[in-house]
Amino acid sequence: MKKEKFRVSSVFIYIVLIFWSLTTIYPIIWVIQNSFKAKDKILANSFSLPLGDLFTTANYRKAFNNLNILSAYKNSLFISSIVAIVVVVLAGMASFALVRYTFKLKGALLSLVMAGMMFPVFATVIPVYSMEVKWGIASTNNWGLTMLSVILPQVAGNLSFAIVVLTGFIKGLPVELEEAAFMEGCNAYQIFYKVVMPLTKPSFATVAIFSFLWSYNDLFTQMFYLRTPKMFGITVLLNRLTSQEGTNYGLMAAAVTLVVVPVVIVYIFLQKYIIKGMTAGAIKG
Amino acid sequence: MKKRILSLVLASAMVLSLAACGSKDTGSANEEPAPAETEAEAEAEAPAEQESEPAEAEAPAGPVELNVTTTFAGEDGNAQNFKNAVDAWCAETGNSVADTSATSDETFKTRVITDFETGSEPDVLFFFNGADANSFIEAGKVVSIDDIRAEYPDYAGNMNDDLITDSLVDGKKYAVPVNGFWEAMFVNTEVLDAAGVSVPGAGYTWDQFLEDCQKIKDAGYAPIACALGNIPHYWWEFAIFNHTSPATHLNVPTSVDSEQGQAWVAGMEDIKALYEAGYFPENTLSATDDETFAMFTEGKAAFLIDGSWKVGGIVNACQSDPEDPSTLDADKLAKFDVTYVPGMNDRKATDLIGGLSMGYYITTKAWEDPEKRDAAVSFVSYMTSDELVPVFAQHTASALKNAPAVDESAFNPLQVKAMAMMSGVTSLTGAVQDIFQGDCRVSTFDGMPEIVTGRVDAIDAVAEGIDAYNAQ
Amino acid sequence: MGASIYKNKKPLIVFLLPAFLFMIVYLYYPFFQNIINSFQQIKRLGQSGTGWNDPWYMNYVEMVKDPVVWTSMKNTLIMMLVTIIGQVGIALILALLVDNIRIGAKFFRTVYFFPIVISATALGLLFNLIFLYDKGMLNQILESLGKTSLTDWKSEGLALFTMMLPVMWQYVGFYFVIMITGLNNISEELYESASIDGATRFQRVRYISLPLLHNVLCTCVVLAVTGALKVFDLPWTMFPKGMPMKSTFLTGTYMYYQTMEAKNVDYGSTLAILLVILGVLTSKIVNAIFKEKDY
Repeated sequence: MKKEKFRVSSVFIYIVLIFWSLTTIYPIIWVIQNSFKAKDKILANSFSLPLGDLFTTANYRKAFNNLNILSAYKNSLFISSIVAIVVVVLAGMASFALVRYTFKLKGALLSLVMAGMMFPVFATVIPVYSMEVKWGIASTNNWGLTMLSVILPQVAGNLSFAIVVLTGFIKGLPVELEEAAFMEGCNAYQIFYKVVMPLTKPSFATVAIFSFLWSYNDLFTQMFYLRTPKMFGITVLLNRLTSQEGTNYGLMAAAVTLVVVPVVIVYIFLQKYIIKGMTAGAIKG
Repeated sequence: MKKRILSLVLASAMVLSLAACGSKDTGSANEEPAPAETEAEAEAEAPAEQESEPAEAEAPAGPVELNVTTTFAGEDGNAQNFKNAVDAWCAETGNSVADTSATSDETFKTRVITDFETGSEPDVLFFFNGADANSFIEAGKVVSIDDIRAEYPDYAGNMNDDLITDSLVDGKKYAVPVNGFWEAMFVNTEVLDAAGVSVPGAGYTWDQFLEDCQKIKDAGYAPIACALGNIPHYWWEFAIFNHTSPATHLNVPTSVDSEQGQAWVAGMEDIKALYEAGYFPENTLSATDDETFAMFTEGKAAFLIDGSWKVGGIVNACQSDPEDPSTLDADKLAKFDVTYVPGMNDRKATDLIGGLSMGYYITTKAWEDPEKRDAAVSFVSYMTSDELVPVFAQHTASALKNAPAVDESAFNPLQVKAMAMMSGVTSLTGAVQDIFQGDCRVSTFDGMPEIVTGRVDAIDAVAEGIDAYNAQ
Repeated sequence: MGASIYKNKKPLIVFLLPAFLFMIVYLYYPFFQNIINSFQQIKRLGQSGTGWNDPWYMNYVEMVKDPVVWTSMKNTLIMMLVTIIGQVGIALILALLVDNIRIGAKFFRTVYFFPIVISATALGLLFNLIFLYDKGMLNQILESLGKTSLTDWKSEGLALFTMMLPVMWQYVGFYFVIMITGLNNISEELYESASIDGATRFQRVRYISLPLLHNVLCTCVVLAVTGALKVFDLPWTMFPKGMPMKSTFLTGTYMYYQTMEAKNVDYGSTLAILLVILGVLTSKIVNAIFKEKDY
């Protein structure tokens, strides 16, 4: 009896889930299929498969011929990985303090964090750029400095979001575990490092994914800081292919495909941290 | 087949109008050298020029790295030409180039302006010569051609100075031009045939145009491919041009009540009349430019006013593989033609918008750097040499004295038609919207849908724009 | 309670300083410049001000009088409701469902993430083609169902719907990932002991998952509300410049429009300040509502 009911509701669940997954998978297929079409064919035939006359590899040939894609991938992965790591560490520390400690300025700091999330990039990028030029970081021909010049503002830009999300997660942690650790003689740093961090590993992984993603896709900042071909990230590089004579949709679809692949890989890789069971019984509700 | 005459005609046509470009208040006060004179001059200068070209072997002290920013990047038709030219120059001089070019868009312009503000500008810059350049010219961050000539008398010596645009700030010349642009009317002859309309020619009037539009509409096509809610720019320019003249077009009205102001209002009213007659696509207010351009290439709309860069766009639309010219559908391409824009009042159909809106600047920073000065001058001279300019300019205009030899056999049929059309042009005038820049445009560009639907009166929209311009 | 552990405030500075130092230098200081900019005359982005506005608060007066600001606030309010109900709601349901299955959970987790990865330009194009006037996917389907006239999905009446649907759809995956993370923070043993006590699946969700998800849910609503204020890329790609007739502007797109398109940089700065104030206010309101309501 119980088993029977279970199955009916499961069927319903799967119908809902599969329906939604169709809406999310189709766009990827659509992008990939159009990356094999010439740009003028897309407006009229975007929903048909690239077969026969429609099929062309011209977009990929163009992307690979003209551009140094590998170096761009390397730059992008470098920038975004560092941004993700730094953001997670700094935001984790700040969130922990903001959740667990009570102090006078707490309310004000939380408002500042919220405000920081709202600042539009186009309002801050120019003062930041001139500041970095003054410091001698931005606008140099040095690879390391250039990478640094774009990593720093991106870290700052992602911190607010990371703090907002991580405070939400850390609030949900049972404080008893920390008390137990305290009893055993851990100080606050050890509690953070040995109790909070491992317990919220899935949350840190999630925040890392989004920081990575936004840093990776942040075209506006990257266009401003990364200027010579050897510095380009993949998004900047592929954006240079967009045309003046109307948008080259086929090439754009190929570019999107090339941009998306690493992010999906990073996501699948980090996903193992958000999967139940991997955190091995550390969490007691 | 080499065509020298065409370029000469072009050059002289431009002299007539472009000399007026820079002076925004006085406008018409200019003397036009007769075409013959230009030609003679060109002949005389030519040999001298050829010698001064390799003379850049003034032996720079050592290899220099030049920072160069241009718009020859990405999908720009000249991106590859530029790359090749840079490589050749580096090989020849032993210098190197840090190329920070990017596609010309708002982010790019912002970046360039910010660079000048923060002192991280490049050594050589290829950029717009209209209002976009005002800020760094005002700040004295670039060197004028005359100042350079004081040290390097041959600098830009192969250019016809009358064709080099004056700065809006101080009337001096700063940017050495390479390739120009024109704006004209593309037609889809298949649609015209179906509607029983012949391809318009040099004497095309506004009334004929209205008549043709009605016929095309009756035949079930959209007469004009234009997304008024997205890119009304070209119609805006020509509608106003139809109520001004090549001599006065570049004057921004001082008030809406002035003669010029009334001309602008009349232009807006013309667009409104076209809209009310139903000559734009049904969804012209909500469509994007890409959509209406697709209507044009797919034979659903007859007329398209656009710039010289659209020649490439149309050719690409006729290729199944945009990278492979051998996949060109010649029959499809043959259906497209380019012609003059219907005229009225003092503007003849053959008076078009066009000119040389960009050029090479040498920044003060590079000029004052003894190591870089020679290299920067040599770089610009190389890029604007008689050999290279025609490669970049193709069917658009250039400012060369020495008419470039145009090899027509290398062109596709639409480019050939474009050149034929250009040879009949009686004047090329700069776009007044290049002067009328910034938030003053909002009320008549982004506000175009409100004007044509009658929610805002044209006169109020124009007045608002002029007020904003005067406040600048 | 835990207060005893955290009485010693010394570590506080170590935990907070690095993050806030970053934000002060890279966010608050530049934004302070933005506040100054809102009182100045600036011709274009990248240029410094040429003088103070006269009167200095001119932009703020203009903002209150500007009908488009009010349109954009109204649209943003609708967008907030759509995001709370549509994005967070759907994401919550999907997350709870995925949390309750074993086979295919990983698959759904991966594919629901896709829409956030694809750039807004590509998604904008996709939706433009779906809603295209002539030969668009929807109009073709309607045609085959016997409809004779074409529907202009981007006309004034339908534009808001056409704009909000894709935005809603795109970010479901984002909240889904956050919530699935929250659900995974909940120990399996809790569910097991509840099952032993004879709790149905629904009861387990109601009495374990939802209460423990409370903080995460609150975070999601805050993100959704503030996200609606600054959402920009997808609406802008589909409806540049608030087309048609400036009726589809949101606060985020209008700020971008004034700064980058209309080149009214000082006014754009003023709108950015409005954005920040609204963001802080709405997040406070959301937090206040969620604090009172405890499961």
